[in-house]
Amino acid sequence: MHLKLFVLSASSVVLWITPLAALDKTLDIHKALQGAGLTAAIACAVTAGNIAREQAEQNEIEEIKSRAITADVVDEIATSAYISQQQRQQEAEQILGSSERTDEKEAELDSIRESLELLLNQTSSDSGELAVVNLSARQQEQIELILQCYAKGITGKNKILKEVWGVSAGSSQSYRDAKAEYEFLLPFVKGESDEQ
Amino acid sequence: MRAMYLANYFVAGCIAFSLLGWVASLHPITFRAVLCLLAAIAIAWCLSWLLDFSLSKLLKISVADLQALLISGLGMVLIGLGVFLCT
Repeated sequence: MHLKLFVLSASSVVLWITPLAALDKTLDIHKALQGAGLTAAIACAVTAGNIAREQAEQNEIEEIKSRAITADVVDEIATSAYISQQQRQQEAEQILGSSERTDEKEAELDSIRESLELLLNQTSSDSGELAVVNLSARQQEQIELILQCYAKGITGKNKILKEVWGVSAGSSQSYRDAKAEYEFLLPFVKGESDEQ
Repeated sequence: MRAMYLANYFVAGCIAFSLLGWVASLHPITFRAVLCLLAAIAIAWCLSWLLDFSLSKLLKISVADLQALLISGLGMVLIGLGVFLCT
């Protein structure tokens, strides 16, 4: 296509200049030859111009395509980078959530273990076996306080509950809990007082 | 490539004015006719320079493009007729 374009361009110039400059004016047909040459030159120039214009338009389309492909690639890279960042963030959030759940499970297990220990203490105290071994430090401290109350001459249940647990007689939940705990500790208190 | 097609159209315009000169050289009547045509083209060219803003709006092209067209047209006339007269 380029060769055709250059040949047409060159021939248009040649057909324009040559009949005017190099043709022998003594010839009878030189005017007709000039006219034919000029007409052919115009045709060649216009054809070459059309071909060049088509080529220029195709080049522009190719440039637009390449720019669009480049923009598409850039957009793809940016999207993948954004998605990978989102994935990393989600993974990090999942890891943090699982650690929180692990902490919750550990706390739940601790509460279950404490409940089981309390149940075991109650069962052991009911059967009279392994009672002192499973008492907690706080319970032993409460036994000590109860014994001190006994030593001071305080023997009433409500007074002991008031002294040791700080609750007054009534129907509150704290009073009932303290009462249950006192009744639970009572055999150990007796055992301790027997030992002393 | 854009320059190539503009140059080809420019050369085509130059050859067209050479052909006009050739037509003028055929007979005294065609000579007068071509002179009238050239005079009309000159008047239109001057009016286009004067009314460039209105004409650019009418043709929906920029003023710079219109001026470029007018200058290249003048160049075509000068080169085409110059080549014909000098050879």
